[in-house]
Amino acid sequence: MLDMQQVKQRIEKLKKLPGIAPKPIPQLLEENGFSRRDFLKWSASLAATLGLPASFAPVVAEAAEVSDRLPVVWLHLAECTGCSESLLRTDAPTIDNLIFKYINLQYHDTIMAAAGWQAEENYEEALKEFKGRYVLCVEGGVPTKDGGEYLTIGPYAETGLHKLKRSAKDAAAIIAVGTCSSFGGIQAAAPNPTGAVGIHKVLDKQVINVPGCPPSDRNIVGTIVYVILYGQLPAVDNFNRPKWAYGLRIHDLCERRGHFDAGEFVEEFGSEEAMNGFCLYKKGCKGPYTFNNCSRERFNQHTSWPIQAGHGCIGCSEPDFWDAMAPYEEPLANHKFESIEADATADKVGITILTVAGVAIAAHAAISAIKKPKE
Amino acid sequence: MKFLKVLGEYIGGIEFSAGYRWQHWIRAISIFVLIATGFYLANPYITYGAPSPTPTRFLHAEFREWHIIFGFALIGAVLYKTIYFFFFPEAKYERASIKDAFNIKLLFQQIGYYLLISKHPKTTGVYNPLQFWAYTLAYVLFYGIIITGLALYAEVYHQGLGGALYPFAKSVESFLGGLAYVRLWHHILMWAIIIFVVVHVYMAVYNAVFGKNGGMDAIFSGMKWEKEEH
Repeated sequence: MLDMQQVKQRIEKLKKLPGIAPKPIPQLLEENGFSRRDFLKWSASLAATLGLPASFAPVVAEAAEVSDRLPVVWLHLAECTGCSESLLRTDAPTIDNLIFKYINLQYHDTIMAAAGWQAEENYEEALKEFKGRYVLCVEGGVPTKDGGEYLTIGPYAETGLHKLKRSAKDAAAIIAVGTCSSFGGIQAAAPNPTGAVGIHKVLDKQVINVPGCPPSDRNIVGTIVYVILYGQLPAVDNFNRPKWAYGLRIHDLCERRGHFDAGEFVEEFGSEEAMNGFCLYKKGCKGPYTFNNCSRERFNQHTSWPIQAGHGCIGCSEPDFWDAMAPYEEPLANHKFESIEADATADKVGITILTVAGVAIAAHAAISAIKKPKE
Repeated sequence: MKFLKVLGEYIGGIEFSAGYRWQHWIRAISIFVLIATGFYLANPYITYGAPSPTPTRFLHAEFREWHIIFGFALIGAVLYKTIYFFFFPEAKYERASIKDAFNIKLLFQQIGYYLLISKHPKTTGVYNPLQFWAYTLAYVLFYGIIITGLALYAEVYHQGLGGALYPFAKSVESFLGGLAYVRLWHHILMWAIIIFVVVHVYMAVYNAVFGKNGGMDAIFSGMKWEKEEH
């Protein structure tokens, strides 16, 4: 990790670049009803999320103030816009979405005013004008089968594959927002008819994966701020997820973990045990196999998250989760394998083979007892 | 005793050393404990209905504890036996089985014996070819379950041994495509071992019944008997 001095030097350098905000960001925040105090509180909490010491809070604030120097270009591929919703759906505008959705976002299909040819032009302009310094956020997987023609965008029917490669070329950093752009997601589930993959499979540059279906707003914003702060990619885990967000399992920080260790499990939804807040492992919680910080950060301005609401984790930030984690409301041990039998779990297949072996052993023993083996 | 009399010309000797026998039984007990506790960890078959007034229950944690204790016992036994096979002087009769294992004629003769159509082949090593390959497969299963087990262990225990194994655990996780797959493979390998154990016990009993050479006793006392060839 870089030290404070280097970060400060970097921010000084960024300050010299022209920003895209109509007015300086501190002024815009002020006009939108956020006091300096609110802003510094926000910075301190973000610094904590990123695992930085408290002394970094002012630096995070400075980075956010110069964030319009590294505008965000948001590319939508095969997706449902749920990740954008994760950022947008808050009960009031927050500093996160003020900075990263309104000021700093150079291009975003869902929330920009432009449409049609005008939107197309804005996109091309952004790529040209901010060449080498825009942060490319990609939402959605990229279909690759038959040259990628299962996803075409815009009036020239450009394939998503082509548009992605072209946009990634001059990006300062590439962030895969959500499980689809990170690992292919739902459309990559078996049998994956469109050959959808995570964007890192088709790019030769490093991609930071921020998976989740959707990822929390904190993880998206935190990753963008990290890139602004350090100008380099954060420390990542084996699946290229930032360690500050995906370093621990849901299970490690779960509020119901005590009930797990105690052996207190919910057997049925709506039961006495469920009311007592017992562990949801037997109702299919995949928290033990899922790396994410939901149990710490939660969603919708830290209000709640699936396990708090009474449903197990479905493991949405893991590669291949749609296939790997199913069925969602049963433990992983009841994973159904592809076979002639519709609900072939490992236990069922095992018992079947064991039964066949048992019958064969009994038959062999009986025959051997009558017709002795040759000495 | 009345029923004891001189019976032809038997020769005897130690087939399995004490260390060998210990590791076998440590492993056998471990397997059964690991299966029982493993099924609980996969899908807890005992749960409480009401919350405890004091937070002193640790049922799942205790099952996990025993699973880990016997897991490491199993690892110890398998590692010992692996080193034993390759390097211990007394394992030279086992190593002699490698040559037999690649003798196709011997392999078919052994299969023929179980199909009751040919005689038991004479092998130079302690294992017949069929047995040798079955055990080789068993070691693939054991190492598979040990590797996936350690990967799951390191994800829960981040300090000490778990911490030391963490990079290794992460590479296992990447290789299999996520922690969920590590867990699934661990479960599948358990079933393969269960089936192996059942067939193994049957074969041991079968050879003890029809071989009449103390084959079963060898794993308890080490002694094996054979009729002398003239």
